[in-house]
Amino acid sequence: MSQPSAVEEKLEHLQHHFIDSDQQFEASKLGMWIFLVTEILFFGGLFAAYIVYRSWYPELYLLASEELDVFWGAVNTFVLIGSSLTVAMAIRSAQLNQIRGLIINLWITIGLAVTFMVIKYFEYAEKIEKGILPGAHYSYDGIAHEKANIFFSIYYMMTGLHGIHVLVGIGLMVWLVFKAKKKVFHSGYYTPVEITGLYWHLVDVIWIFLFPLLYLID
Amino acid sequence: MSGHHISSAKFLWGVAISLFILTFLTVGVAYIHIPEPWNVVVKISIAAVKAVIVAAFFMNLWWDSKFNVMLFIMSILFFVLLVGITLLDTLYRVDPVPSF
Repeated sequence: MSQPSAVEEKLEHLQHHFIDSDQQFEASKLGMWIFLVTEILFFGGLFAAYIVYRSWYPELYLLASEELDVFWGAVNTFVLIGSSLTVAMAIRSAQLNQIRGLIINLWITIGLAVTFMVIKYFEYAEKIEKGILPGAHYSYDGIAHEKANIFFSIYYMMTGLHGIHVLVGIGLMVWLVFKAKKKVFHSGYYTPVEITGLYWHLVDVIWIFLFPLLYLID
Repeated sequence: MSGHHISSAKFLWGVAISLFILTFLTVGVAYIHIPEPWNVVVKISIAAVKAVIVAAFFMNLWWDSKFNVMLFIMSILFFVLLVGITLLDTLYRVDPVPSF
């Protein structure tokens, strides 16, 4: 009587208003998908601004994107796709009860996310040095277009908002590592890992569009 | 049942490698200089294919409940609506607002 059975122990995570673990898992995932929809529309406003200004000043985008380094943009694309792979591997480890593998994959993901931000930092630093700042602070005269600041306002807003999402993702994954070390996750309960994974893949998808739109205008 | 598809490690690597190859392809396409409207079309198409691969096989929509798939598609439809209606205004202005 006093010893909780193995089954009961594994149901610690189940909240009383759900019938079973599956229903709780599906409800969490549905909630996350609704959040991701709002995220897509949140970034959608910026993509709309990008499209409107590109339709007004197509030649500006051609000139200004030459200031962006395709090499580092491509490296960051590989880094983010790699991190999506390790997050998927982390979820797989959790599903298979391999908690060590889960923690290792989360650390690799955090490492890749930090790499992304370090590269982004050097890209920003190089531009700020030249006086390429958003809006009224723009003071670079290497681009022969009077609206050059507009391209970089859009650039900083889109990559900046994306960068904030990467930082939030790093925070979430550090939190997951701590939870995993406390043995919270197992094959019957890994909802936070799955949900954070969905978020991380969306951040990857947004970068997949930002890279060609900002860096690859030939 | 629907939410617990476990992908094999081999499969996940395959997905990532296909995404890497498509990234190489986009960068490659940028250096061939395809004429005007088509370069954008090609690059956005490649990005869209990559996004669908991520959504289907990393975000597991392929095996997921159809409701989540619908949510994802609806977000894209509403984004198209946002851009479409905005462009109906901005494309047909006599001249853009001077200070913009």
